[in-house]
Amino acid sequence: MASAATSVTEAVAQLPRKFGTKQIFLPNHVIAFIRPKPRQPPNLATFVVPLQFNKLDLRDYLFHAYNVEVNGVRSFINQPAPRRKAGRGKWYRPRAQKMMIVELVKPFVWPEPPAESERKDFDYSIFKNMQKARDEDTNRRVDPSNIPLRTQTPMPRPRVGLIAQAEQFLKNGVEWSNGKTGDDKWTEVETDVKV
Amino acid sequence: MAAMPLRAGRQATTGACQSIGVNKQQTASLSTTAALWKRHVYKGARDNADHSKNRGESALRRTGTRWRLSMSDEPLPKPVPRDQLPPIETDPNHGLWEFFANRKTVANPPTEDAKHGRSWTVEELRHKSWDDLHRLWWVCVKERNRIATANWERNKSKLGFGESEARERDMMVRGTMKAIKHVLTERYYAWEDAVKLAEKDPEVNLSGDGPTFTPREFFEEDQEAAALEEPAVSPMGEAVEQTEPGTGATLDPATIPSSKPQSEAPRI
Repeated sequence: MASAATSVTEAVAQLPRKFGTKQIFLPNHVIAFIRPKPRQPPNLATFVVPLQFNKLDLRDYLFHAYNVEVNGVRSFINQPAPRRKAGRGKWYRPRAQKMMIVELVKPFVWPEPPAESERKDFDYSIFKNMQKARDEDTNRRVDPSNIPLRTQTPMPRPRVGLIAQAEQFLKNGVEWSNGKTGDDKWTEVETDVKV
Repeated sequence: MAAMPLRAGRQATTGACQSIGVNKQQTASLSTTAALWKRHVYKGARDNADHSKNRGESALRRTGTRWRLSMSDEPLPKPVPRDQLPPIETDPNHGLWEFFANRKTVANPPTEDAKHGRSWTVEELRHKSWDDLHRLWWVCVKERNRIATANWERNKSKLGFGESEARERDMMVRGTMKAIKHVLTERYYAWEDAVKLAEKDPEVNLSGDGPTFTPREFFEEDQEAAALEEPAVSPMGEAVEQTEPGTGATLDPATIPSSKPQSEAPRI
């Protein structure tokens, strides 16, 4: 069964591949190879191609420029909904985008995206904070009445320190002190503090 | 015929059969069982035989067929969960690797992306052949594809910063491509001018028959002209230089062009 399947794929791979006769010497297209969706099989590869590309073009391009053999090509266009800039002004139609999914003869598995700790070269921590701040800002602008509850906001830092200190005291059974001994342990407001 | 449903029903009570045997085909009880009516055999009795061949078979209850089939004894393969499948290894020479700037992170970090020089200048490329320019163009095309792939990956996987560096790199590549086009356009204009000149040039034959370039032999013609018209006066009124009889003999033979046409002459 398996041998029959492999022989079929081999036979398909050995088929003579016909290409067009029109030669293009200086193509100006930009093609992006896209990470597959989580459960997409490894014999499918997705590309973002120019709108004027057709299936035959991509097959020809991949074979001659990248030496990648393809058994089939599926194509679709992502047409964004009409929108306006910053939610106001004139309506316009954003440019559509063409994607093609090719069936590869040789499978290709993408590497896993690097973990957050491995993105130091990309300044990921700053990037993350900036993005978070930007999102919060956007949310505030979109709906100013939506004020987060106190339980949803991060605790102020002095409060966090106080809580930690209190826990320490409770745990060790030590009483609080201001580190002073003797008479100047306490300050009498009426005599010591000059207003 | 009527015994079949009975047997299947008995199997179902023993539980879902796993080992596939001759009598253990069905995995679930039959969905319906017609009442086993007593057969009337007397003369003129009504026909109460079960005419439904598929009675009791149900796809929903996975009863299987009532009759043994040729492949009933074949063990069925069991599906393997996706995470237990052996990992698929990618060919290290797969052509699609060329879309990646970095095989691990796909997109290069901005520090790596910023490591680039300037684009090729027009002056540098003027000295290059068409083959070189064409090869360089394809290097640029692939680099732009790599940058586009990295941009997409950086945005979608939220890798971090690096967009600005990638844009600068892209601008450099585009500068090179622009210079290539500039050089080729210059060459095209030069060719156009050359064609215009060649149309007027009597030494150049653009018809396609025979040699394209046939240089005139100045010395021979001048000598002939001098021999024919002794008091040579040019139509412009200027006196043509009188070639003295011994001049041809005293000339260095190396400077005289060969009488052969260009195509036959040995290429030096």
